[in-house]
Parts: sequence; structure tokens; C-alpha cells
Amino acid sequence: MPEGKFCNKTPVNTQEALDAVLGDKGGKQYYAEMLELEVDTAKLAASIKNTCKSRTGTWLEMCAHCGLCADSCFLYLCNNRDPKQVPAYKIQSTLGEMVKRNGDVDNAFMRHAMEVAWSQCTCCNRCGQYCPYGIDMGVMFGYLRGLLYSQGFVPWELKIGAGMHRVFKAQMNVTDEDWTETCEWMAEEAQDEWPGLEIPIDKQDADIMYTVNAREPKHYPEDISEAAVLFHVAGENWTVPSSGWEQTSLALFAGDWEACKQQVEHVYAAIDRLNPKRAVGTECGHAHRATVVEGPYWAGRPDGLPPKPFLHYTEWLAEALRLGKIKIDPAKRIKQPVTLQDSCNYIRNYGLKEITREIISYLVEPGYFVEMSPNKEHNYCCGGGGGFNGMGIFRPQRNRALMVKRDQILATGCKLVIAPCHNCWDAIRDLEEEFKIGIKWSFLKPLVISMMIVPEHLKPAEEEE
Amino acid sequence: MYQIVTGPLLWLTFAVFFGGLAWRIYTYIKGLDWKLDRVAYGTQTAYGIRGAVRSIVAWIVPFGSQGWKVKPIFTILFFTFHIGLVVVPLFLAGHAVVLKMRFGLPWPTIPMVLADVLTVAMICAGVFIIIRRIALPEVRIITSLYDYLLLAITLAPFVTGFMVVHQIGGDYEFWLLAHVIAGEIMLLAVPFTKLFHVVGFFLSRGQLGMDYGIKRGGMKGTNMAW
Repeated sequence: MPEGKFCNKTPVNTQEALDAVLGDKGGKQYYAEMLELEVDTAKLAASIKNTCKSRTGTWLEMCAHCGLCADSCFLYLCNNRDPKQVPAYKIQSTLGEMVKRNGDVDNAFMRHAMEVAWSQCTCCNRCGQYCPYGIDMGVMFGYLRGLLYSQGFVPWELKIGAGMHRVFKAQMNVTDEDWTETCEWMAEEAQDEWPGLEIPIDKQDADIMYTVNAREPKHYPEDISEAAVLFHVAGENWTVPSSGWEQTSLALFAGDWEACKQQVEHVYAAIDRLNPKRAVGTECGHAHRATVVEGPYWAGRPDGLPPKPFLHYTEWLAEALRLGKIKIDPAKRIKQPVTLQDSCNYIRNYGLKEITREIISYLVEPGYFVEMSPNKEHNYCCGGGGGFNGMGIFRPQRNRALMVKRDQILATGCKLVIAPCHNCWDAIRDLEEEFKIGIKWSFLKPLVISMMIVPEHLKPAEEEE
Repeated sequence: MYQIVTGPLLWLTFAVFFGGLAWRIYTYIKGLDWKLDRVAYGTQTAYGIRGAVRSIVAWIVPFGSQGWKVKPIFTILFFTFHIGLVVVPLFLAGHAVVLKMRFGLPWPTIPMVLADVLTVAMICAGVFIIIRRIALPEVRIITSLYDYLLLAITLAPFVTGFMVVHQIGGDYEFWLLAHVIAGEIMLLAVPFTKLFHVVGFFLSRGQLGMDYGIKRGGMKGTNMAW
């Protein structure tokens, strides 16, 4: 019965299928087909039976309906405290109802659940911190996304995004050839200023294997050369894999667990092949979550750890600054009020709150760093997490969601925001575009490059004798 | 009648109460799945236990967590309600007498005045919790009749108990019987309703604590600031 040409229960597995669904601009036909998409209730019931175990079951059953989660949710706060944005309500009226009815739900229910799962929750996990029982509704929404995805109810861009990972092992259809060519090009360009700089590809037994977010080769190749410059200056023995270099996972946002597994295993295979001492990932939150925090579980690793120690960029940078591998010129330290965006994915959900502040202590003149309120693991989502930045149909909701971060930044009085996460960086860029509050925002790499001391032997030879 | 409800029926109630809760604990732990939950319970157990203990302690101590600190009024209501709920039935002199008579157990008791204060405070907190459910839109939207039923089941033994002790309402025999039955209904309801949070709180809080203690920073040496 009604399975659409684009909107259906089959994941995008081939280049042809990917091109076809991409050709449906804005997902017009896709969403029209979704109105007719049938729910396979037997399959849904079976999924619930197999995957809704004691943790989720208890969370759903035991919720005391106390409402303490309401104020923890930034989407509740920025939507005029609409009771329909209370996390407990959102999850009980979607996943809770679906489980109660044992999967016997209709098309309209699924479309509504899709809207809630992708436009009323960014899976920031803040509510779990404020529930006396520790009911983590972000985790449950992730689970609900998986159930919805398996039934074909997923926003158009994320169906494509997960398909990209299945077809290219990278989002944004970046191929391994595109990647290695970009690395070669970036190394060449940087060599004028940095003689001897290399981006070593597929070097065996290096100290560090570096992985990135596919949008770097696609849209921000300078990010790759900045990483190269910093490894170069720090004197690291490093490499990038020719395949398995892409660390992100739109499949995580889509709830496509099979593609998540394929993607992370692809990165781990690069680690196995090149045998580095450690791996380091770029300044991205969800990439770290996908590869280091959740990834080991998708790959079925019982110790919950990646095959080699896998550092977030901030961990490597803090270490390099701490050990003096990179030295900051005191005269160039930031001397204007500056604030820091704590990314949910590696601060709340990976505990790096002190690492980023250690970096701040090297980069910012004492007295100029202003904390957001709240901050660290209690910080609010940037407003664009969990895929929210990239879904056309939920753009108005996303733009509204940016208001919380806008107000937090305004309250600091800072005009510069350090955002060591691609997703947060994008959201902050968009909030400036949307609300024009006159701020600048930056990753760490360009800031460090602008203020580090370059050792004499790494400087280009003087042109005139 | 009094002999039956404080004898065999009480035995039965205790058996269902403890047996039911034991079953809850067993099925919860058995249903934890390291792959589905994405928490390495079995291999990183020491980190997990540390995280679980931190998580439970932060929330069982009044104002111990950020969540309690930002909601001071609710926190006071919550702890007043729960302290009365646990302490009074366990250590009331009148209950110790029954335990001694029926089961021959010696039992510690609290002064009658303290029991009265705790009971009245607990009932007042319960009333405010009901008012809060009605008054606050963010609580009202998730409140169902079931929530009121549970509050009624929980408050009934305390209201009737207070009437018995202070001989309010005339018919002492009737209220005593009502009190014992109300108490038994409450105990019987615990394993079968979300009142099972008597143990579920520790399990669920412990689980999220393990999650943070293992996967979300604990193994990096970071303590979650609950």
C-alpha cells in the first residue's frame, strides 16, 4: 500500500536513490507523500517489544507529572512557557502514547510525533538533569526518532543526510577523493607561509590520527589548514586517513542506527588500519558524540570506549598549551569581554567543562572572560542542536529557539563568542543574522593561530638577503 | 474484624509489598541492556557505582541538586511530604505496639508531638501539592485523574490516622478500621502503581548516575554538578 517514491520505509542506500530524493527540491513531493504513508503497526509493535526495555519503560511509567522539567527546557522558555512544550508532556503524548497503544497508531499520529521529535526537542539532555527521577527525555526522543525513522517519518534533509552516510560514508556527498585533494590543496597553499608544513595522509603509526566534519572539506577548507598549522607548530607526528576521516553523523540526528554503526565502524577501521597512538577530532560536538561517546556502543564495544584514546579538539589543544607545545604571546591575548558557548554534546554529555576553561585561561587576559548564565553542564542548547539547524520545514521554530542563546549572550555584554562546535557556531551565526545583535563568533583554531608565538625555525625565510 | 485486618491481612499486605518491590527491582535490573541503553554497566562497574551514588545523594538531600535549588518552595513541600510519609508510619508509638503484639518485634519510636507535627505538615504539603497541580499550567497539562487518585491513596492513612489518635469524628472504632485499611491499600498499591518509586527512585536515579559516571564524563574524571 502507500509507500511514496521518496517518502517510504526504505533508507537511501544508493547514489541513484540519493540523487532522486535530492532532486525533489525542498522535499515538496516527499512531504506530500508522507500524508499517505502507511504505518506498519505490526513492525512498530515488534520494535517496541524488542527495544523498549526497563529503563525506558520505567521512565515512561514512573514520571510523577511534577512539572519540574518545564523550566529546564529552553524550548519551553522561548515559546512563552507553552504547556505543550513541557518535556514530560512532549514525550508522554508521543512516545508514551505509542508504547501505551503498542504501536497501534495512525499516519496523523506519526506526523505529529515527527514534528515534536524534531522541532520541539534538540536532544540536549538538560531535562534529565532537572528531573528528580533522572528521566532523560532527550534520550527518549532519540529513541523515538529511531522508531519514526524506521517507519519513514523523518524530515527530508535527515533522510538524505543519513543516506549520505550510507552512500559516501560522509555527509554533504564529499568523497574520499574530494577529501584527499582538499588536503593536498590546503597543504600546498599553506606552505608559502609555513615552510615544511604537511598534511600527511595515511601515515602508519603516527601519534595522532585527525578526523573532521565533512563540511570542512566542503565549505570551510581553511579549517583543515588551520588544524595542520597548529599540529605543525606543536611539532606533532600526525596524519589523516584517506578514508574514515569523516567523524560526523547526521544518521544520529535522523535516528538511523544502522547508518550510525556503519559510519563509526568506518572511522574505527581507519584507526585499525593506521594504528595511531591516539585520534583527535575537530571542533564539533555531535561528531564527538557520534564517534567517541555513543559510537563505541553502536560498534558493539563492551568497554564503551573507542579502539584508541579519542580526544576532542579542545582536549588536544588544552594539552598542547599546558605542555608548552603551543605558546601564546601575552601581548596578543584577548583583551575584550569574551564568552564561551558550552556545547551540550561534549560538555554536558562528556564532561569537558574544565578543559575549555583551561584553554580560556591561556587565551584571554584575566578579567575579560565572562561566563554565560547558566553555564557548563547547565548551559542551554545553542538553539540549533540535534539537526534543528538543517531542516527547512522547521526553520521558523529553529529561529525562535535561537532567542534563548541570544539573550544569554546579550546578558554577558560580550561582543565575542568562542564556539568550539560546528553546530553551535552555525546557530550563533544564524542568530546574529536573524537578530543583528552585533557579535562576532569564532572557533578556537583561528584565535590560537592569531595569538601564538611562532618559533623562529618555522617562519618563512626572509625574502631580501 | 480488627483482628483480621491487623493480623492475616497485614501479613498479606507486607508480603505483597515487599515481594512486589523485590520483583520490581529484579525486573528493572534484568531489563537493563548495555547496548540499547548505551551504558557499559558490566565492564565499567566501579565508575558506574560511583556515578550512581553521587546522583542519588544529590537528589535525596534537600537542596542537594541544582534542580532542588531552583525550586525552593516545591523542594520544601516535597521533603516535608516525604519525610512525614516515611518517618511517621515507621516510628509511631501506636504502630510499635502492634508490631510488638502481633510479631513480637521490639521497635524504636518517636515522641507523639513530633509525630503530630510531621503528620500535619505532611498533610498540608499534600494539599499544597494538589493546589499546585491545579494552579500551574505546566503541571496541570500533565496531570491526570490517576495522579489525584494516588495522592488520595497516600493521604488517606494519614488523615484517618490523625483522626484516630486525636479521637476526631466520633466513631473511634470505625476510624481505626478505616485507618488500617487505608494504610493497607496504600502499601498494596505501591508495587502496582507509580508509587513503586519507593525503589524506582533509587533505580532510575542510579541508572542515570551510571550513565554520567561511565559514558558522559565520569571516566574523564569529571563530576557531574547535579
